[in-house]
Amino acid sequence: MLRMAARESNPNFMNGVPELLILRLLQEQEMYGYEIVQAIRSRSQAVIKVGEGVVYPVLHGLEQEGALRSRRKTVNGRSRIYYSVTPAGAQRLVELASAWSNLATAIQKMLTGAQHGAAIS
Amino acid sequence: MAQLFPELFPELRERLLRAGVAPRHVRRYLSELADHFADLRAEEERAGCSRAEAEAAARARLGAVDELARAMVEQRQFRSWCARVPWAMFGLAPLLFLAAAYFLACLYLWFGWRMFLPGADTPFGGRNGSMYDLANIYFQAGKYYYICAPVLVGWGIGLLAARQRLKAIWPALGLLLIAWMGATAQIQASRTAVPAGLGHISMKFFGLGPEAQVFGGAVHALIIFLLAALPYFIWRLSQAHARSA
Repeated sequence: MLRMAARESNPNFMNGVPELLILRLLQEQEMYGYEIVQAIRSRSQAVIKVGEGVVYPVLHGLEQEGALRSRRKTVNGRSRIYYSVTPAGAQRLVELASAWSNLATAIQKMLTGAQHGAAIS
Repeated sequence: MAQLFPELFPELRERLLRAGVAPRHVRRYLSELADHFADLRAEEERAGCSRAEAEAAARARLGAVDELARAMVEQRQFRSWCARVPWAMFGLAPLLFLAAAYFLACLYLWFGWRMFLPGADTPFGGRNGSMYDLANIYFQAGKYYYICAPVLVGWGIGLLAARQRLKAIWPALGLLLIAWMGATAQIQASRTAVPAGLGHISMKFFGLGPEAQVFGGAVHALIIFLLAALPYFIWRLSQAHARSA
C-alpha cells in the first residue's frame, strides 16, 4: 500500500499507516482521493509515496466501518466524492496515533541505545 | 470512463468481479479511479508532457492492475453475498422467492374468488362469461403470472450469476431447483376439498405424484429450466465468443 521512496516497506510494520494518515488529513478538511494522495506526498516530502489507486479501497473500508462519511460534490463542472471524518473516525485516529507514537518512541529508544552501545565499544 | 483508460478498466473489472467483489463496489472503485486518472493526466500535461506521455505517466502512478485488484480484494467486507454464501443465494433464496411469488398468486386467486365468484365452491372453471369480461381477464392474468413466476425467478438467478461472473455450477443448481419446484407446484382451491386451508386454498411442492405424472412433470421441469436458463446461456455464449475474438 504505502511505499517508502527507496524500497518496499515491511507490510506488517505498515499496517494501519494508510488509515492513520488518511484520518489525520481528513480531520482538517474534507478531500477527495486525488487530493489526499497529493497531500500525503507533499507533507511527507515524498518519503511516503502512495500507490495512488490503492487509496480508494482504504477510503471505502473506513467509510464502511463508519470512520468516514462521503458526499458527492460538483466542483468546476466535475463531480467528485469528498470524504470527511466522523466522530467514530476521530476516536479511531486518537487510538491509531497513540499506538504509533508509542511504537515510534520505542524504536527511537532502541536506536539511541544501539548508538550508545556502539560509542561505548 | 472506459474511454479514459480503455485497456485497464475492463480487465480490472473482470478480476474484481471474479474475485467476488460486489458489483456496486467495483463500479464505485472504477469510477473514482477514472477521476483520479484524469487528474493525474491533467497534472502531467500541465508539467509539459504530451497527451501520450501524460497518460503513460498517469497509468504508472495509478498502479498496476495486480496492485489495484489486490488492494480491493483484500478488503473482505466488499465481497458480495453471492461470493460469500453461494449455496444460500442460489440454493435457498430462489426457492424462497418462488414460494413468495406463489403466495402472492394464491392471494390474487383468493381476492378474485371473493370478488367475482363469491358463491362458487372453487375459482377454477365453470364460468360462462365472455372472454373479455373482467373476471376472465383477471383470472387469466393470474394464471400467466403463476406460469411465468419460476421463469422470472430463473432469469433473476441468471442475472445475479452473470453480474458476479460466477461459475455456472451455482446458477445451474438454482435453476434446477426452481424448475423442480415450478413443475411440481400444485394449487388446490375448493371450499369442500380444502375446508381448513388458508381461504380454502392450499399449495404443495416437490411431490412426484403418481407414476403416470412423472414423465409429464419431468417435461414440464425441462421446459421451465430451458426457458429460465436461456438468457444466462446466451450471455455465456456471448462471453465465450468475445473472449475467443
